[in-house]
Amino acid sequence: MLEAKKLTKIYGDYVALNDLDLSVKAGEIFALLGQNGAGKTTTINLFLGFLKPSSGEAYINGISVADYPQEIKNHLAYIPETVLLYPNLTGRENLEYFSALAGFDYNKQQLGELLASAGLQHQAFDQRLAGYSKGMRQKVGIAIAIAKQAKVLLLDEPTSGLDPKASNDFSEIISTLSKNGTAILMATHDIFRAKEVATHIGIMKQGNLQAVVKSSDISANELESLYLRTV
Amino acid sequence: MQPGLIRIIAKQEIKTILRERVSWILYLILVGISVVAVYTGWSYVKQFNKQQVAAKNEVTKHWMNQPERHPHRVAHYGYLVFREKSPLSFFDYGLDSYVGNSVFLEAHRQNTVNMSEAGFSNGMLRFGELSMAMVLQMLVPLFIIFIGFHTVAGLKQSGVLKILLCQRASYFDILIGKTVGLTLVAWLLFLPLILLSLLFGIGASVGELTSDIFLRSLLVLLTYAAYLFVISVFVTGISAISKSAGNALISLVLFWILFCVVIPKSAQTLGNRLFTAPDKIAFESAIEDAISKEGDSHNPDDPHFAQLKASTLRKYGVDSISQLPVNYGALVMQEGENISSGIFSTHFDQLINTYKSQNRVSSLLSLIDPYLGIRNISMNLSGTDFETFTEFQKQTEKYRFDKTKKINEIHLTQIRFKNDRDQKVSSKNWQEQADFRFQPVSVQTNLLNSLLSLGALLFWIVAGVGALKYISSKQEYQL
Repeated sequence: MLEAKKLTKIYGDYVALNDLDLSVKAGEIFALLGQNGAGKTTTINLFLGFLKPSSGEAYINGISVADYPQEIKNHLAYIPETVLLYPNLTGRENLEYFSALAGFDYNKQQLGELLASAGLQHQAFDQRLAGYSKGMRQKVGIAIAIAKQAKVLLLDEPTSGLDPKASNDFSEIISTLSKNGTAILMATHDIFRAKEVATHIGIMKQGNLQAVVKSSDISANELESLYLRTV
Repeated sequence: MQPGLIRIIAKQEIKTILRERVSWILYLILVGISVVAVYTGWSYVKQFNKQQVAAKNEVTKHWMNQPERHPHRVAHYGYLVFREKSPLSFFDYGLDSYVGNSVFLEAHRQNTVNMSEAGFSNGMLRFGELSMAMVLQMLVPLFIIFIGFHTVAGLKQSGVLKILLCQRASYFDILIGKTVGLTLVAWLLFLPLILLSLLFGIGASVGELTSDIFLRSLLVLLTYAAYLFVISVFVTGISAISKSAGNALISLVLFWILFCVVIPKSAQTLGNRLFTAPDKIAFESAIEDAISKEGDSHNPDDPHFAQLKASTLRKYGVDSISQLPVNYGALVMQEGENISSGIFSTHFDQLINTYKSQNRVSSLLSLIDPYLGIRNISMNLSGTDFETFTEFQKQTEKYRFDKTKKINEIHLTQIRFKNDRDQKVSSKNWQEQADFRFQPVSVQTNLLNSLLSLGALLFWIVAGVGALKYISSKQEYQL
């Protein structure tokens, strides 16, 4: 699971994240909504260990990110807004490489199965990524996350720029992963996708988590109203 | 550090680079340039040696064909000696084109080495010559820059670095893996090229692989391998601290200009400023002035040689030089030779020390410029270095002195003092003299002379890996 305790990040006079308390349990999907500069990506980067908190703590599966930055990598997977990977390698080669770096030695068939489970079409497996659409590359990114068998998944604007079909495919896969016990934290601008896929939704403004609602307790329209009132 | 992960990263780096068409286009261009460099180097050395053998034969023929004559005329007739180019000079021209390969030897005069390529060129030589060493020292680093500038910066820009860092590899593992990959590509593409060029050049010009040539070739291969590693570390490091691939490329090209053009030129100027050497005319004038103060050895009555006269008369127990059993005039000439040779050696050693101090500036600067380091090592191993040149000058002076001494001995014993100038001796006297053969500097001496540069290369390796460790510890270089 994922946990933040009074997590704060300050750059000079600018407070990028202020006293964030957050918990995402196994099987939950927590969507962070907010405008640009609200602190969503800062939160993700703090959980990934790419930023040092000014104060407070971030935990992945109960392990302090600040104290064990290398150890937490065994427990998490990350998908950025744009998955570019290595354009000169095929989808299967990219997956093989990242899996190997995560300590997994999959054979050709297993790699194919992982790509298929991420929704990539069979004929694309052995094509170079240079010819992939954004949605296809995103699917390879998901396959990398699945291959790692991580219990925590961090997503930064994962559906940005995807067409509705690709976005929908993505949501389905995320839901499946969640049902299998993965704790997912997702930063997004997409209110309706967040409502559709997340179990919990948080709205951020100027580094503060202003509101947290259960997705099942609120309709899409109510969420939109809340969002607009908050930001 | 996790060797297993480093191996995976390095393997992937190699695969990525070798799949890029631009890598192969650049490589093929460099192969083409290398082939031209090796061929022109070899054909130039071959042609040079051929001309030199012809000139040497001509000089020997003239020397041998001298008729019966007075020994001192023979001493002034003079003799031209040559230095053969070293077996690896086709690989690295070093100083060969600037310092000359022949000296005209004559009695009483210490001529400096002359007939350099630079002296017979139209000035284009100033821009450097195309040699295999030049390709490896200057162009291959440019190749590594072009294939490696984006190795980390590109990943940072595309966000792939973040995904990589979320796997089990640490940032240090990634940087080392990238460096190893880049180095292996450079080794894979260029070490066989070096090996082939050495085999071709040696095979075609020398024809046999002596233990000295083998050792030198092996050391050339090893030091260039180390140099390519240093460049790869540097490229990875700059790429890792750059925000974008574009910034990395600009920085690396600027460093290339700094390392290959600005610092070497500045090192030369700085060396000249710190340790000023006299020009050729001033050097020769100083020697002539010093010798003239010691008297005229052609005049047996010159007061500078009064002590010699007194001691010689005492030694033979006679009252006048006409009673001596040997030719006193020859004794004076030999004494004059001893004095002039001593003066020349003193001035020459001073000059060489000044040049060595200037060279030391360049060697010290290799601590901030690996190009200077490899240039120095490569010249030394190829036998086209400064030590080889000074050794040639020293050996020719020794040969000149010994040859003149032998002629003076003939003069001393076979020519009577009275009517000295009217007498002649048999040409067999000089025909039996041993010919000059240059003994090249040993590889051990060359290595000793390269110690500072070798140390600098080692420093670059250690400091480079240390810098990667430092970069990897800084979070600002990860995002």
